[in-house]
Amino acid sequence: MKSNQFPWRGILLAALLFAAPAFAAAEPMFKLVARDGAFTPAVIEAPAGKRVRLEVSNEGKTPMEFESRDLKQEKVIPPGGKGTLTINAMKAGEYRFFDEFHEKTGQGKFVAK
Amino acid sequence: MGNALFIVWRESAEAMLVVGILYAWLRQRPDAAIGMRYLWGGVAVGAALALTLALVMLGIMSSLSGNALDYFQLAMMLVASGLIVQMVFWMRRHGRTFKKDLESSMARNASAANWWGLLVVVALAVGRETAETVVFLYGIGAGKGGIADLPIVLVLGLAAAFATFWLLQQGSRILSWRLFFRVSEILLLLLAGALLVSGIEKLIALDVVPALVDPVWDSSWILDDSGRLGGLIASFTGYRSRPALLPLLALAAYWIIVWMSLGRSSRTSAKAPAKKVAAPVADAARAERH
Repeated sequence: MKSNQFPWRGILLAALLFAAPAFAAAEPMFKLVARDGAFTPAVIEAPAGKRVRLEVSNEGKTPMEFESRDLKQEKVIPPGGKGTLTINAMKAGEYRFFDEFHEKTGQGKFVAK
Repeated sequence: MGNALFIVWRESAEAMLVVGILYAWLRQRPDAAIGMRYLWGGVAVGAALALTLALVMLGIMSSLSGNALDYFQLAMMLVASGLIVQMVFWMRRHGRTFKKDLESSMARNASAANWWGLLVVVALAVGRETAETVVFLYGIGAGKGGIADLPIVLVLGLAAAFATFWLLQQGSRILSWRLFFRVSEILLLLLAGALLVSGIEKLIALDVVPALVDPVWDSSWILDDSGRLGGLIASFTGYRSRPALLPLLALAAYWIIVWMSLGRSSRTSAKAPAKKVAAPVADAARAERH
C-alpha cells in the first residue's frame, strides 16, 4: 500500500533543497561587536518579516555567549572569534539578546519594523 | 561574584539533579555496586566530554567547523531528552521489582543492557552544561578580576553544586521512598521536556524546521524567561515567555505521550500491588542495616 501513496515527503524535501539557496542570497547581514559585556550597537534595527543574518564578533578578552530566548539563539564565541547566526523572520517588535557570560551589562535588542 | 556563582550553580544543577537522583535510587538496589561503577563512569566520561567541548568552543580545538558544533549540541539535547524519559520508565519498572529481577538471569541481562544507557545519560548531563561552565570560568580567569577570582568562584561554585547533591540525598532519606521517587520522576520528566524544547529551538535556529508562528504569545510581563528566576524555570521546565508554535506543539505532544505511558505503567504494576510496595521497603531496610 505504501508505494501507492503520494510522495509528499520527497516533494517537500526537494522543495526545501531548491528553495534554500534562493533565499540565502537575499538575506540582509547585520554586524554586532561584543567586548567583555558591551554590545556595539546595542540596538539593531532590522526589517520585519524577513530572515536576516547576524555576524557576532567577540573583540573582548573573555569568551561570550550570545543568547536570546526571544530569537531562539545560543552560541558561545571565544575571544577573537566570530559566529554567524541566521535569524528567522521577525514580526514587528522588540527581540532581546544578551551575553550570558556578562549578563549584567551585556544586553541588547533587535527592533523589527 | 554573586552572578558568577549563580551561573556556576545553575549550569551544574542539571548534572547534579540527574546524578543525585540516580545515586539515591541505585543506593537502594541490591546490585548497587555494579550500577555505581556505571554512574561514576558516566561522570568521568561527562567530565572528559565537557573539557573537549570547552576546548572546541574556545576555538583552541577547532576540529568541528561551521555549524558542526551546533548539530552536535542539538544531538546531545535530543538524545539526553529521550534517554532521561527511558530512564524514568526503567526506574519505574525495576524500582518495584528488582528483587525478583535478580533471581532470573534473563532480567539481569535486560537491566545490564540499560547500565550503558545510564552511563550515557550521566555523561550527557555532566558534559553538556559543564562545558559552558568551563568556558565561563576560563573567561573569569582571563577577565578583569584576573586569576585571583577564579579559585574562589570555583570552590564556592562546586560547594553550591555539592549542596544540591547533598540535599537530594537528604530528601531521599527524609521523604518516604515513594514520595521521593514520585518527585524525582516529575523533575526528570520536566527536564526532558525542557531539553526537547531547546532541541526544537535549535532546529529552528539552524533552519531545519519552521517555527510556524513565532511568538504565539508574550507572557514576559508575568514571568520573563530572560530574567534570573524565569531563566531557571525555562531551563528546567521548557517554559518560554515568547514561545514559537512548533516547540509548543512538541512539548504538548511530549506530555500527552508521557502521561498516557505513565498511566499504562501504573496499571501494569497495580496488578501486583504486594510486590510494588514490599520490594523497595524490604531493600531500604536491608540498606539501613549495612
